[in-house]
Amino acid sequence: MNFPLPNFLPALPEIFLLTMACVVLLVDLFLTDRSRGATYILAMASLLGVCVLIALSFSHSRILTFSDTFVRDPMADALKMGIMIAAMVSFLYAKDYLREHGMFKGEFYILGLFGVLGMMILVSAHNFLTVYLGLELLSLCMYAMVAMQRDSAIASEAAMKYFVLGAIASGMLLYGMSILYGVTGTLDLGLINERLPNVQDKILLSFGMVFLIVGIAFKLGAVPFHMWVPDVYEGAPTAVTLYLAAAPKLAAFAMLMRLLVDGMASLHGQWQDILILLAVASMAIGNIIAIAQANLKRLLAYSAISHVGYLLLGVLTGTTEGYAASMFYALTYVLMTLGAFGMIMLMSRQGFEADRLEDFKGLNERSPWFAFIMMILMFSMAGVPPFLGFWAKLSVLQALVQSTGLLWLAITAVVFSIIGAFYYLRVIKMMYFDKAEDSSALIASNDMRVVLSANGLLVLGLGLYPGLLLAFCLATIVSP
Amino acid sequence: MLENYLPVLIFICVGLLVGTVMIALGFVLAPHKPDSEKLSPYECGFEAFEDARMKFDVRYYLVAILFIIFDLEIAFLFPWAIVLKDIGLFGFLAMLVFLGILVVGFVYEWKKGALEWE
Amino acid sequence: MIDWVITTLGHLPVVVRTVILIALFLIPLMLSVAYLTYAERKIIGAMQVRMGPNRVGFFGFSLWGLGQPIADAVKLMFKEIIIPTGANKYLFIISPILSIAPALAAWAVIPFDKGVVFADINAGLLYVLAVTSIGVYGVIIAGWASNSKYALLGAMRSAAQIVAYEIAMGFALVGVLMAAGSLNLGEIVAAQKGNIGHWFVWPLLPLFVVYFISGVAETNRAPFDVAEGESEIVAGFHVEYSGMAFAVFFLAEYANMILISGLASILFLGGWLSPLAGWDAATTLPLIGPILDSGVHWLLIKISFFLFVFLWLRATFPRYRYDQIMRLGWKVFIPITIVWLIVVGIAVLAKLPPWWGA
Repeated sequence: MNFPLPNFLPALPEIFLLTMACVVLLVDLFLTDRSRGATYILAMASLLGVCVLIALSFSHSRILTFSDTFVRDPMADALKMGIMIAAMVSFLYAKDYLREHGMFKGEFYILGLFGVLGMMILVSAHNFLTVYLGLELLSLCMYAMVAMQRDSAIASEAAMKYFVLGAIASGMLLYGMSILYGVTGTLDLGLINERLPNVQDKILLSFGMVFLIVGIAFKLGAVPFHMWVPDVYEGAPTAVTLYLAAAPKLAAFAMLMRLLVDGMASLHGQWQDILILLAVASMAIGNIIAIAQANLKRLLAYSAISHVGYLLLGVLTGTTEGYAASMFYALTYVLMTLGAFGMIMLMSRQGFEADRLEDFKGLNERSPWFAFIMMILMFSMAGVPPFLGFWAKLSVLQALVQSTGLLWLAITAVVFSIIGAFYYLRVIKMMYFDKAEDSSALIASNDMRVVLSANGLLVLGLGLYPGLLLAFCLATIVSP
Repeated sequence: MLENYLPVLIFICVGLLVGTVMIALGFVLAPHKPDSEKLSPYECGFEAFEDARMKFDVRYYLVAILFIIFDLEIAFLFPWAIVLKDIGLFGFLAMLVFLGILVVGFVYEWKKGALEWE
Repeated sequence: MIDWVITTLGHLPVVVRTVILIALFLIPLMLSVAYLTYAERKIIGAMQVRMGPNRVGFFGFSLWGLGQPIADAVKLMFKEIIIPTGANKYLFIISPILSIAPALAAWAVIPFDKGVVFADINAGLLYVLAVTSIGVYGVIIAGWASNSKYALLGAMRSAAQIVAYEIAMGFALVGVLMAAGSLNLGEIVAAQKGNIGHWFVWPLLPLFVVYFISGVAETNRAPFDVAEGESEIVAGFHVEYSGMAFAVFFLAEYANMILISGLASILFLGGWLSPLAGWDAATTLPLIGPILDSGVHWLLIKISFFLFVFLWLRATFPRYRYDQIMRLGWKVFIPITIVWLIVVGIAVLAKLPPWWGA
């Protein structure tokens, strides 16, 4: 028995990250609490290293390796770069918050790194097994991170809910996978796509597909499988919320693409209807319930649900333009959400969480610059031109109308977006027109100020040149 | 092939039977004169003053969890060990990577004090 | 006469035949368990310059107390089985059965000589491992069902200890598998063919030591008997058991000792192989030649040796403290075995003679 040696090169960034995560774990064990900063630096260096590795070997075509279970294509590389940057930014924002709340432990970074590894595997999956492997690695890290603040009842409750619902979702996903394996006889996504049109038992096929989509929808947080999102966002420590609100969205988008486009493109007609349902429900419920929220983290959770609805609009077109628009939307959303949670962490301090809407009252008097940044982020999330969020919504709707002609769906999306604008604008109103209850100055380290400002300005800058990011997304999506 | 396993099944049945018969024998042959003192649980001469199914140290759970992890690793090692001669150096190195990750976890739990039993 | 028995047996349905053979095996096994307790008392007595049991004999002769185990068995049989109030009656009765059944059933795959085995299955070692780990259920259920604090404490300690040493034991077994390349116990012995130098005990010496000490710990024998710890938690998990129910636990413990000894002989000391095997000048000698050649008697000698070591350990060492036990299991044995697995792997791949050479 001789095994052909697989080509390890495409997976080099993953191998590097795994090695580094183990190194960080071991190094952290031998550090005292005072020198814990080394863990942070090492974690950031690992992510930066992965970023450089991917950039140096940015792929131009599709490479399969490890018996076709692992795929490396431009979309994977682009998403992985996005994940790295999002994770680095969230680590950076989280640093001061964790220090102030006595959570500056190596485990946050170790779990974070392993979670990133899970996302990378998910992004590069080309087999049901790798999809599941990546997903579980990511999810398990996130459950543990949510539960990290052991003494907080609300965090423990959130972690428990997240874990139970996540386990159910994994079960659904596995069930769907096993049915599809049963009808096609393979776990390989490419082969499944080839064999699906020849499957005789259409009912079984539909069952498998529905279970698979239910699993994905759970992970994305699309209505009606969104129940965990608000509780987890609110209950988790803000640093963790930031981590799990940003980068994993990109991984979830990749999972959607891998399973539905790589694996079931030939069934596009069937899953399109389901996605339309999910999208409309997400946009409606997310935007309407967000209005009633007094807690900013909860509000952003419902906002995340509604954004998932818009994201689905692009994927359901089934065209390259649609996928690119969705990817554009995902990247945009991650950028905005990083900024928004960054603002919450900027304003919080020891023993004080700035997660109520009232905490933002009169921010303009306390710090005009960061009020301005927050205004950019809120406008962008609401989809007001010329900010980036507007272009993301526009490109998704454009792709939708052009390729499917579902005009009513586009109009629905616009209507809900206008409804949604209300609660974003309310935050802006509070910052600029209400009286501050708390007039202390904002305390933040310089690196956080710089990066947060850059984050906000990027939303503005990319909004002024919207073609850049969209063209990049279009270039990376290789037509299936 | 499967008939090789028949003696195993019979042996298990005989084993259960031996235990059952011996205990039954004890019930049949021995006297049976219970009284409340005799039937009370042993507690150094005291009357039992709280439920015997009491709380116990959480570390027992930790040991159980660690056991599951390590036992699974061993279960993975079993088939590998049998075919080691056939899969050669590549198989050996692959398992070294696996063991390496296991050792990283082991070092972690060691340093974190999960193995301490004061 | 013997031919007649064999032909008659051959004509019987296979199930009946197997049952008869198993019975023919179990009776000597039970007797050796009984006389192991006698040997224990005699040997430890000798080590402590005492007499040991020396009164009970047969037909009016004391015969060095050889009748003692029989007398004990009869006494236990006529003792009342007390089921304490608040105990979970069914579990209370089931747990001793759960203890002894695996200790007996594991013998199904133990080869006594070339081809002499009840079930010649390829998953032999896996089966032994699976069946013996059921034994821990007997202990836990006994501790829980008794509704007694001492029993619960003993059961928890015992379970944690067994579980900790099971890992070291598993790793040691992986080493044997790497060396032999088979799970079939007969083939594992066959892989050690040759004289004493070919036995796996030499290349796997650390694993052998780990295996045997883990075996002592798994059977809750001294110096690892904190689960019983008569001076602190009276008798641990079986404090509430009396009469035959207690006797069954007792039998199970001793049957497990014999089993562990048998496995250690087969896995590391070449089972039924003679240390002189392959040396034709000796094995072809008239009269003593067959004795020097391989055969079931060598397996019995090896088992007896290990059993003696069990008793010797008990007479020699004071009881370990619980934290010391856990430290030994987790922090000493597991690292040793992992390192040695890698060494064995390299040796196997390098075809190190005489074990894996051409």
